[in-house]
Parts: sequence; structure tokens; C-alpha cells
Amino acid sequence: MTALPSAAATMPPRGGLPVAMPRGRRGTELAMLCFAVVIMACAYASAGLGLNGRIPSGLIVYAPGFAVLMAAAHVTVRKFAPWADPLLLPLAALLNGLGIVMIYRLQQSGRAGNPGFQISTLTTHAASYQLLWTVIGVAAFIAVLIVIREARVLQRYTYTLGTIGLILLAIPAVLPSSLSSVQGAKVWILLGGFSIQPGEFARIALAVFFAGYLVAKRDVLSLAGRRVLGIDLPRARDLGPVLVVWAASLLILVFESDIGTSALFFGLFVAMLYIATQRTSWLLLGILLFLAGSYGASVLFSHVGERFTIWLHPFAGTNPTDAAYQLVQGLEGMAFGGIFGTGLGQGQPFHTPLVQSDFIISGFGEELGLTGLMALLLIFGLIVQRGLRAAVAVRDPFSKLLAGGLAFVLALQVFVIVGGVTQLIPLTGITTPFLSQGGSSLVASWIVIALLMRVSDSARRPAPQPIQDEGLTQVVRAG
Amino acid sequence: MNRAIRRLSLACLVLFVALMLNVNYLQVFRVNTLASEAGNSRTFDAQFHNQRGEIVAAGGPGKQVIIAESRLIKGGIYQRYYPHSYVYAPVTGYDSIYGSTSAFGTTGIEHAENNLLAGTAPSLAVHNLIGLISGKSRQGATVYLTISPAAQLAAYQALTAMGKPAAAVAINPSTGAILAMASFPTFNPNDYATLDSRTLARIDNRYRRAASQPLLNRAINQTFPPGSTFKIVTSSTAFSTGKVANENAPIPAPQFYHLPGSSSVLTNDGGAPCGNGNPPIVFAFTVSCNTAFGKLGDTVGGAALHQYANLFGFNNPNLTIPLPVSPSNYPPLRDPAQIALSAIGQFNDAVTPLQEAMMAAAMANGGKLMRPYMVSEVQAPDLSVISQTQPAELQQVVSPQVAAYVRTMMLSVTHNPSGTAYATAGPPATGIAIAGKTGTAQNGVNNTNLDDAVFTCFAPYSNPTIAVAVIVKGGGFGADAAAPIALKIIQAYLGQH
Repeated sequence: MTALPSAAATMPPRGGLPVAMPRGRRGTELAMLCFAVVIMACAYASAGLGLNGRIPSGLIVYAPGFAVLMAAAHVTVRKFAPWADPLLLPLAALLNGLGIVMIYRLQQSGRAGNPGFQISTLTTHAASYQLLWTVIGVAAFIAVLIVIREARVLQRYTYTLGTIGLILLAIPAVLPSSLSSVQGAKVWILLGGFSIQPGEFARIALAVFFAGYLVAKRDVLSLAGRRVLGIDLPRARDLGPVLVVWAASLLILVFESDIGTSALFFGLFVAMLYIATQRTSWLLLGILLFLAGSYGASVLFSHVGERFTIWLHPFAGTNPTDAAYQLVQGLEGMAFGGIFGTGLGQGQPFHTPLVQSDFIISGFGEELGLTGLMALLLIFGLIVQRGLRAAVAVRDPFSKLLAGGLAFVLALQVFVIVGGVTQLIPLTGITTPFLSQGGSSLVASWIVIALLMRVSDSARRPAPQPIQDEGLTQVVRAG
Repeated sequence: MNRAIRRLSLACLVLFVALMLNVNYLQVFRVNTLASEAGNSRTFDAQFHNQRGEIVAAGGPGKQVIIAESRLIKGGIYQRYYPHSYVYAPVTGYDSIYGSTSAFGTTGIEHAENNLLAGTAPSLAVHNLIGLISGKSRQGATVYLTISPAAQLAAYQALTAMGKPAAAVAINPSTGAILAMASFPTFNPNDYATLDSRTLARIDNRYRRAASQPLLNRAINQTFPPGSTFKIVTSSTAFSTGKVANENAPIPAPQFYHLPGSSSVLTNDGGAPCGNGNPPIVFAFTVSCNTAFGKLGDTVGGAALHQYANLFGFNNPNLTIPLPVSPSNYPPLRDPAQIALSAIGQFNDAVTPLQEAMMAAAMANGGKLMRPYMVSEVQAPDLSVISQTQPAELQQVVSPQVAAYVRTMMLSVTHNPSGTAYATAGPPATGIAIAGKTGTAQNGVNNTNLDDAVFTCFAPYSNPTIAVAVIVKGGGFGADAAAPIALKIIQAYLGQH
């Protein structure tokens, strides 16, 4: 993968000391991006062949359209974040492309003489819309890279973004159910035919807020209170913000019937608190608070308690045809796929309700098999790892916190939804990043990738070299 | 802060590893469990595209007969077909479209061997994997049965001709292999092979509501009073416990036996005396004296009778062939009057026709009872043998000496001109040396119903290769209704008339 010789790498070090110069590796990124686009196009063709033996006519629109989008993203990265991690964009592109293919495949099920049942919750334009949302997502990605040249400029908007985040979170709870509730989860803003899940964006805004807040307060929070059983307990008054966030996440749980978002929200905060203070006590406290909150909720609220019952006994009594129908169909679908899967278009994912959103992983498991699921999990794992790597490498504490928090919450999101669908943990309905149908999640995911790339760009950017020809001018690092 | 991020990275790794392990568990190890979950719609659809294995009656003599197969009907869809419709129904059972998704979708061998026939058994996993890679659809294993086509057809025809609720079972005494298993009235398994769920529901409803209970496998799932055939157990107990020395030893046989502690009086058929009142046991057995064996029952005692009944296979709720067999009943008794009645196969005694056949088979096999079985071999689609049944001893019921005494008495039943089955299973009827025991069991409230006819036997006497039991509900005298059916089965199996 040495497509383009990097100017930086070949430049002889000036001054006396040889300085190790990381390369941008944009050529590598381009090659892998091409690979991702080719996989998307092949998968699209394969889905059509699996459904009715014909290569879908939409291929001439979808594949080049997708390629153009990714090319635009790549060009932007070359121009505005030349040192950014070369893996993140191709990985995100591959996931997004496969998501479009799966939604196309599901939308075609039972339509135009294709085998299977029609999925009533999917319109005939679902894949087109997903591509449209990809356009918006990539536009957001480009905008973030152009507008935000350094992640730490966001620190200035700590409280603004915090407020926006809380408002976004609270809107669905305040709105009447007719404007905010879909299938029991009150997490939407429904306007006309248009729907947004503000929580997806709130998570990013709150990550910025937490990063800014914690950078300012981390010394105070690190102060030890009493030491009990080998654990440093924080001072009582420092517990305030933690309890506020905990209470807010519980409120989401109660008023929006959304355990998943609440878990992600709280997990994000605890992880960032831990990064900022390095104190295990916060982590333990956070986990304990969450467990206690979940247990309390499962006892107090029947719909939360039911999740546990479904998780533990999906095949008991009338569960398979009633409360646990979706989970059971998803599990049976993945079992039906086995190791190699049925092949795209040849499984029966249409049995699983909402397979295009919360349960898209089970659709992939059925048609691409264990092999496909392992590949998808590895891709997610790699994105998380690259994000955390950027967090470790970057010097600025705000960027460190932001990247660490965003990468961790991505891992947590994948764990919560994939673990829920595969019966590892109780099921909570949240989107699978990049794969699930739905614009908010897709756009928010692209923004997260843009922020991670921005941080990695800062981390990998070589320090400006002192230019000796101009005398002994002191170089002062910006920021 | 980097230390904390590195630790969080480790935590993320743990999360992803947990997901991956769980996905592997789900898509490799839970595949079969989930596939056979009730109501699995994917399995339901998939069954039509997979060729279910054949069931073959391979018990000889003559060539093997396919009794259940899957035929390609249209557009890659398979349908189950039973070439001999009614004849093998109690053996094959049926496979309906709910066969893979409901415990009630299959019966008989189709149910007992479902995983192998459907190809989902773990023992076929490697074969399935190869098929998956080479792009073939799943194929089920072929199940070979010990059923003899000749004996089964004869049993089916004889029962149908009789026209009363009845069942017949034939087994090979030296191996326990089941040669025939017929029940009447029966059903046509092809009716259940319909691919249309509404037709299926209608047909199933009709069969289930029929008063004649055509779905009931009377050979193994219904019990009848054994009547005098139980005297095989009573005499075996008497010989084994030393209460009677040998088949020629005399036993007391009053014309009227006042049941101890009861006002009831036990008589022989038609109130006749039994020989000189103290005849050899073989004579009492040949003419089937109730008073002699009722009294003998009290002599040996309820505990001993219970012990030997258990050795013969009574009171065993766990027998499978591999179809589950209803237990035959011989209760432990204390009351002498009840013991006396139970010793002649009345009171609460109840047997399946299979249990009757096992009684004759144990005597024919030197007192050694073999485990009855019906599946001889299972072959994968590539013809490799997956499993083979080796004949296994259930238990030694009585000593070879005692078995020889009982065999002599059973031969006397058919060869002594005064024997109860002389005319129907003896020299006047056939040249084959059959040895057997008749039973005519009273039943119904106050014994008002027609008696059940029972006959259990083995042949040929000198070298037994088949043991047959026939029970005809309301058949009347055992020798008249049941023995001719047994004779036809034996003739068909031995190829002699």
C-alpha cells in the first residue's frame, strides 16, 4: 500500500536532528475506499441475483452515486485533514454501503415477484432514502472537517452544546405522543412525513459538553475523599454532577421508555469521567448506580421488567409468538444462516419485525452468516480501536476526552444492540451505527467519524519544524 | 489520562470478544436447538426444499420395500409419499407440514427418527457441511426397519378382513427385531402429507374425532386384559419358585374354586371340571383351566407373580422401540382373591399386544427376553452407515429349563386334540409347528361386553424364528378370532402354508 509517496516521509529532515515523520497515508485510504465501494457494488448485485436472478437495474445509480460520495469525502480529507487516520473513512464507507444493500434487499422482499413477504414498515423508496441520508451524512462529515479545524475549538461551546444536548434529549419527552412516539419508544420528533431521533445528535453534543466540563473540573474530581475498602470515594459535594446525569438518564428511561439511549448516555458520562480522573472509584460507582437504576426500573415499570423476562425466557409459554416474537425471529434467522449464511436475498429476514432498523444485525447474520457477522464486528471494533488510538496519541486533553468518549460510546452502542439481538444482554431498541435504516443515526455516525478523524489528524500532524534558514526564530505551537 | 483510555480500550476489547463468542455460540452451537424450536417459520419453509430421508422395510424375506419417501412435485418442492398408504401406517406414522416445527407434526418412526430423516441430527453435521459447500440442499438419512414386508402385509390384510378393532405384533425371538406391527382401524398417512394447511386441519380433525380412533396404534399404545395368556407368567413363576417341579407335575384343580376371603366362585369355561381334579399342569394349561391357575396364583403369591411379570416386561414405562410403548400393567397385590384372578389374566392386568409377543418370544428364546427394536440401520445420503442396532438382552426372565417346560405346554395347546388352539393353529390348520396360548378376556362393566380374543405364539417349535401376538377387541373366543390371524402372519413370514 505505498501508492503515493508521501511528501513528508521523503523530505530530508532539516536541522541537525532526524525527526520521525508520520505519513498521511491518504493513498492507502483511497485504495481501501475503492475496495469498500467495490464490495458495496458486488453486494448490491449479489442481493439482486439472490432475490430474482437478475442484477438490479438500480446498480448503475447506487454504486456510482455511492462512489462519488466517498470520493468527495476522501478529497475533503486530503485537503482538510491530511494526517487523519486512513482506516476510519473506508471502514465507515463499507458499513454504510452494506447498510444500503441490506435495506434495498429488505425493501424488495415480496415485491415485484421476489420471494418472501412484503415488509409493511418499509416503503419502496427505503433504499433511495438511505442513499439520500448518506448524502446528508457525508455532507455533515465534510462540513465538520471544513468548519472545525481543531477539535479543541469546540471547548468554547461547552455549555452551549450541553444545553442544546439536554434540550434535544428532552424534546421527545415533552412533545405529545402523536409527535414523538413510534412503537412505544418516545424518542422521535415527527413532523409531517419526516422523523428525527434527536437523541443521536444529543449524544455528540453531550460528549462535547462532558469533555469541556471534565477538562475544567478534573482536578477537583480527582481529589480523594475517604478511602473505604481500598477504594477512594469522591467527596460528597463532587458527586453532584454525577447524580444529575444519573437522574437525567433515569428520566429518559422513564419518560421516553428508552433503556438503550439512557444506557449509552450514562455510559458515555462514566467513561469520560473515568478518563478525566483515572479513578476506578468513579467507574465502580457509575456501574453500581446504573445497575441499581435498571433494577429499580425493572421492578417499578412493567415494560422494563418485561425486557428481562424476554431475555431470560424467550421460548417460554406464549413468548415466542407474543412478547419475544421479534427476538425469537431474529435468533432463529441467525441460526438459519449458520456459519456461511444463506446469501444476500436468499434468507427469510422478513419474518423479523423491524429487521431494517434495530434488528438489522440479525438480517446480516441470516444472510451473511457467522462469517459476515464476525467481519462486521471486526469493522466496528477497528473503528473503536482507531478512535481510542487517536485519543491516546493526541496531546490536547479536551480532544483526548472527546475522542475517547465518542469511541467508547460507539463500542457500547454496538454492544448494547448486537448483544441485545443475540440474547447476550436484555434487548433494548437502539440503532446499529451506519447499518440501520434511519437518517439521524447515519448522519450522527458520520459526524462522529469526522470528529474522530479530526482528532487523529491533530494527533498525527507532525510538529512544525524550526526553519533554521530564517535564523533563530522561536516556534510557538499554536493553541 | 492515557492509562484510563488504555484500560477503556481493554474494556471495549472485552465487549467485542463477548459479542463474538456469543455470535459463534448462536450460529454454530445453537443452530439445531433453534431450528427445532416450535413454530420456527424458517425451518417450516426449508423443509419443503430439503429431501427428507426414506423409510425402508428391510426385514425380509424377499426384497426391501420403501414405505415412505419424499418426492419432488414442482418448483423444487418436496412432498412426503407413502407408497403403501394404510399398510405401514402404525409403523411410519405420518409427517405433516408441521413436522419440523411442532412436536405434534409427526408420529411413529417419522417422529422418533425425525432429526435423522430431516437431516438435522448432529451425526449428520459433517455431511451437511460438505453439502453446504458443494451447494446441495440438505438431504435426510435413510432409516432401515426390521419390518418384514410379507409379515406386515399379511397382518394388515388379516386385521382388515376381521374388521374389528385389533392389533398384531410379530418379533424375532432371538434378536427382538420387530417383524410386523399392525393396528386396525388405521389411517392413510398420505392424507397428512398434504402441503395445504387447511386441508390438513380438516383431515386431522376428522381423524381425531372418529370414534374408531384410527390414529391410535393399538399394538403398542393400548392395553387389553391378557386373559388366559397370562398363565404363561403364572406357570413360569410356579416353575421358577419350585412350587411346581416340571410340566408333568400335578396341580390341584377343583371344579369350583372359592376365592379366599370372598364369596365369589371361580369356574372353568362352561363350569366344566378340570381333568381328575389334580391333573398335570400341562393338561390344565392345554385346556386352560381357570381354577387350577387361580389356585396356583395363590400358591406362588402376589409378590412372586409381580416379580416375574416385571421380568417379562410388565410395569415398564420407559420402553421405546424407538416409538414409546405404553406400560403393561400387573399391580402388586396382597388380597388372595385378587391374586387368584390376576393369575388368570383378569382383575387389573393389562397388556399391549407387543407385551404379549414378548412373552412368547422370551419362552422361544430359552427364557432370554431381547429388547424389542424396529430400526436396524440408519444410512447417511452418501450411504455411509450412521448407526446400526445390535440386538440387546433385556433380561433373562426364566431359566432355559423353565422356558423348555413352558414351550412344551404351549406346543400342547396347539397339538393336543383337546388343546384350545388345536383346530385353529394346530395340525388341522397348518403344517407349521406353532406353539401358543389362547386367551379370552372378560371385560366391560359386569363383563357384559364381548370378550377380547388373545393369542400369543411362536414358530417353528424346534427353531423359533417368529413370535406373534394378536388381540382382537370383542373378538370372542381367543382361538377362533385371534389365532387364524397369527397363523396368516407366520405363514407369510416363513413362506409356508
